[in-house]
Amino acid sequence: MKVTVTDTAKIARETWQLAFTGSFPYDSVKPGQFVMIRIGSGMEHVLRRPISITAVSEDCLTIVFRVAGKGTKWLSERKPDDGLDVLGPLGKGFPLPPANAGTLIVGGGIGAPPLYLLAERARHLTERLDIVLGFRTAADCFWAEEFAGLGNLALATDDGSLGTKGTVIDAIKALPAERPEPSPNLKQWDYVYACGPLPMLKAVKRHFDGRSVRGYVSLEQRMACGVGACYGCVCQSSDKSATKRVCADGPVFDWNEVAL
Amino acid sequence: MNETLNTPDLSVEIAGLRLRNPVMPASGCFGFGREYAEYYPLNRLGAVVTKAVTLRPRLGNPTPRVTETGAGMLNAIGLANPGVEHVLANELQWLAEQDVPVIVNVAGETKDEYVEVAGIISGSGLAAAVELNVSCPNVKAGGISFGTDPRILQDLVEAVRRVCTVPLFVKLSPNVTDIRRIALAARAGGAEALTLINTLIGMQIDIHRRRPVLANTVGGLSGPAIKPVAVRMVYEVAKVVDIPVIGMGGICSGTDAIEFVMAGAGAVMVGTANFTNPMACPQIIAEIDQFMLEHGIKSLTEIRGCIT
Repeated sequence: MKVTVTDTAKIARETWQLAFTGSFPYDSVKPGQFVMIRIGSGMEHVLRRPISITAVSEDCLTIVFRVAGKGTKWLSERKPDDGLDVLGPLGKGFPLPPANAGTLIVGGGIGAPPLYLLAERARHLTERLDIVLGFRTAADCFWAEEFAGLGNLALATDDGSLGTKGTVIDAIKALPAERPEPSPNLKQWDYVYACGPLPMLKAVKRHFDGRSVRGYVSLEQRMACGVGACYGCVCQSSDKSATKRVCADGPVFDWNEVAL
Repeated sequence: MNETLNTPDLSVEIAGLRLRNPVMPASGCFGFGREYAEYYPLNRLGAVVTKAVTLRPRLGNPTPRVTETGAGMLNAIGLANPGVEHVLANELQWLAEQDVPVIVNVAGETKDEYVEVAGIISGSGLAAAVELNVSCPNVKAGGISFGTDPRILQDLVEAVRRVCTVPLFVKLSPNVTDIRRIALAARAGGAEALTLINTLIGMQIDIHRRRPVLANTVGGLSGPAIKPVAVRMVYEVAKVVDIPVIGMGGICSGTDAIEFVMAGAGAVMVGTANFTNPMACPQIIAEIDQFMLEHGIKSLTEIRGCIT
């Protein structure tokens, strides 16, 4: 799909947001899905870049990405009115929590963006929505105000420059154990969603070991086709007997379904 | 003047197979077709070429398996596939309903495995042709070792030829000193068409982490970067064999495809371009049609191998 950039901004260290408008099936976007963006106009860049969807309205879609190489550098240099060639929405998104579930959303660094749309969709369903975001340092933090508008936001930074000094696990442990009225006797959380670096996903899953919560993680992997054809971006099933395609079978998986 | 008289005929004949047009996706770049059927009806293609099929399921290599390079990409997938039994039941049955010839790429670790899989595939009645994969650079056993020694290759092709009841294509590796010797060996073994080139072995290093980008260390280079090498090899092979050559390597446009036809290819395959643009194959077909119309070419046979 050919779309038009409406807005770009640098929002944190090496981190940019970009919004586009134009012909795109905005209504069908589910939280956790991604787009594949073509880089450049010639054939210098043959692989599109997978970028998760942060926010969507009826005629506009917003992505947040970190400049990690030539492709994302090019993307960060787009200006309003520039054209973009975008495929999507792709992949399977996050299943939303059922009504009245206690919900915890955990994001690490550039893993946070797809969780914004999840929080926006989940907040009407859930009695308690906690959002914990971890960054290396305050300079890496973005969209804190936006997330705070959707749920109880707790931040963690490695150096303590913002929020809890430590990891997202330290911040999770510091959250109140009780649910607010009207269900103070129900458990803290029924659904946990996480996106971020692999060590963080492992730590979050481990933290909830033995507790009856449903957990979902969104995985990242180098992709080629983005549609499930090339088997480039696989992960292993939890028993390591099979592979799953991150692009088409994921990127969101039940955390018991895949080997982290 | 009557419009229809000037309409180019894109159809080609390869080893007795009549194809609507000369454009097919390259093995491994199109899965088993399902994903791209979301973008266009597969019967717009000359044929569908499946991902490599082996006797037993293969999980493939560790990740990262893919990375972009200048005007190209490296891959080290490692022939991941669900095995011939699953492919027959779940993929080829479905493909048979898509009104398009299906060419099944067959790979193995031993001669016996190639023979067994090719026999099962051709016996199923679901494949229009078998493409023997003797050129995968990303697996330790089999694959490329069959594609680099002319005697071993001829022996393998002969053995498969005996059990294969459909046209047999052999896909050649460019990672050899003289591809003509390999092409002649495949022909002597009974190949009815040759497809070339598979990927060139390459490597990319992450200098910040001081390690290879691909988990497999090396991988197969594809994309526009390899096109001149591919055109040269098609040109060389087409001159020395009397069977059709199907050309591939970095084709992204109709004019790229025409270049291969002029070098001697009877048809072409499109690989990496499917990733850049899921509509690549139909667009290339339209561009070939446009080129033929503009240049008054009624059939590709008029320009095939015109470079002497």
